[in-house]
Amino acid sequence: MGDSIIIENLTKYYNDFLALDDLSLRVPEGENIGLLGPNGAGKSTTLKIMCALIRASSGKVFIDGFDILEEPEKALSRIGAIIETPEFYSYLTPIDNLSYFGKLRGMSGNNLMKKIDEVIALVKLEKWSKVKIEKFSRGMKQRLALAQCLLHDPPILILDEPGLGLDPKGLVEFREIISDAGRSKTVFFASHQLNEVDLICDKVAIINNGKLLIYESIDVLKQKYQSLEIAYLKLTGGSVE
Amino acid sequence: MSDLEKLKIVIQYEFLKHFRRKRLYIVLGIALLVEALVLILIPVLMEQGYPDDALSMAALLTAGPGLAVIGAVFFAGDAVAGEFEGKTGFLLFINPVKRVVLWVGKYLAGFLATTILVVFSYIIISIALLAIYQQVPVELLKSFGLCMLYAASVLSVTFLFSAVSKGSMGATVMTLLFIFVVCGILESVLMATGKPYWFILSTGGDSITAVLTDMSKMFESLGIDPSRFGSMLENYKPMDVSLAAVGMVIYLVVGFAGSLWFSNRRQLA
Repeated sequence: MGDSIIIENLTKYYNDFLALDDLSLRVPEGENIGLLGPNGAGKSTTLKIMCALIRASSGKVFIDGFDILEEPEKALSRIGAIIETPEFYSYLTPIDNLSYFGKLRGMSGNNLMKKIDEVIALVKLEKWSKVKIEKFSRGMKQRLALAQCLLHDPPILILDEPGLGLDPKGLVEFREIISDAGRSKTVFFASHQLNEVDLICDKVAIINNGKLLIYESIDVLKQKYQSLEIAYLKLTGGSVE
Repeated sequence: MSDLEKLKIVIQYEFLKHFRRKRLYIVLGIALLVEALVLILIPVLMEQGYPDDALSMAALLTAGPGLAVIGAVFFAGDAVAGEFEGKTGFLLFINPVKRVVLWVGKYLAGFLATTILVVFSYIIISIALLAIYQQVPVELLKSFGLCMLYAASVLSVTFLFSAVSKGSMGATVMTLLFIFVVCGILESVLMATGKPYWFILSTGGDSITAVLTDMSKMFESLGIDPSRFGSMLENYKPMDVSLAAVGMVIYLVVGFAGSLWFSNRRQLA
């Protein structure tokens, strides 16, 4: 099995501010990787570059072997993503929105409708499937974002704080869905929720100030630092009581 | 899946968005109200009633330039800026579609929505002329063609402002200021001083009625003596409609190309 995601010497400047500093990382196919780091560490910037939302100042990203800059369409066809708290088209219903994105990904007809019903049921939004999104709460939008991310059954999931806005019950359901998807997919998952990352991921990459601090399996980190939380705090310079 | 197939999908759903919003119906209501007011107020306010000739009446009824601007602003002001400001781009841009396909699709959907407004307005004019004069002059078709060209060029300019604006409101305000204030003032000054003014965008809007009748004929048909305006019309030369059309094509091409260039360079940080 090869690498689903290859990040090579990724550097990103926002004007004079260095957001990513020569970041390199390889995510093997089928693995679930957590991307951890304090606010402003460069997590979202990394994911946005991986989804072709912003351009790197230098460096490369390959998704399933496709350079995101050279072959963005091929690379994007391999991923399902939730970046930040995405907003849907509020004048349309969940079915309309999912139908739009599904068709853009080459899905059509009964197959598309069946998949839409399936993912809407998965995120428990059946009752709201024909209601305009302007009526939705933040948590409901986040559920729908997860539905759109799984709609086309992509081999790679890129998730940026996907649990944001979900209630505790929703968070548990969400974790189950991602864990289940993670058995057959590669998951690259940025979060501040260490317990969520611990339950979903095999390995973590911890970054700070745009630099990779460590890329190691959670089990090894736990052995070395007692817990993932202590490892995170020690590596990012936080205080450990 | 080809780019053309993706383009069709983008147009379909972008148009659906316009269709589901209340804006389309509001502008259609405005169009109906404007035409109704003209039809009601002329016989009430003018002693002689409706003008003698159908062309002058058609010119009075033509709300096309205003509708084209309102349509463009409503349907295109947030087309590009809205994806960034409203964060919907986080879902749209991660699909395997070229950005240029998205922008072209949005433009064409906006044009389609504006076309509905313009067609609706010209249907009302045609019905009114048939009812009053029992004829629909062929010049109305030319006016319609120019109105569609004007709508396309205003849409391009709005797209350009939307591409460079941080928010939708900025794009809307900039478009309205540009057309009604900047272009309006420039056109008036150049027209009054007898200088060429075909290259001003609002001239394109004026050509929509100019192809029906000229200013002095319209005043005469309403029983107004043009000499009442004194020296104001001394330097006035009737516009060259062909040149005005060339001007609109320039705005259409440059505005759209510029909007594509700026939109493609924008990043969703």
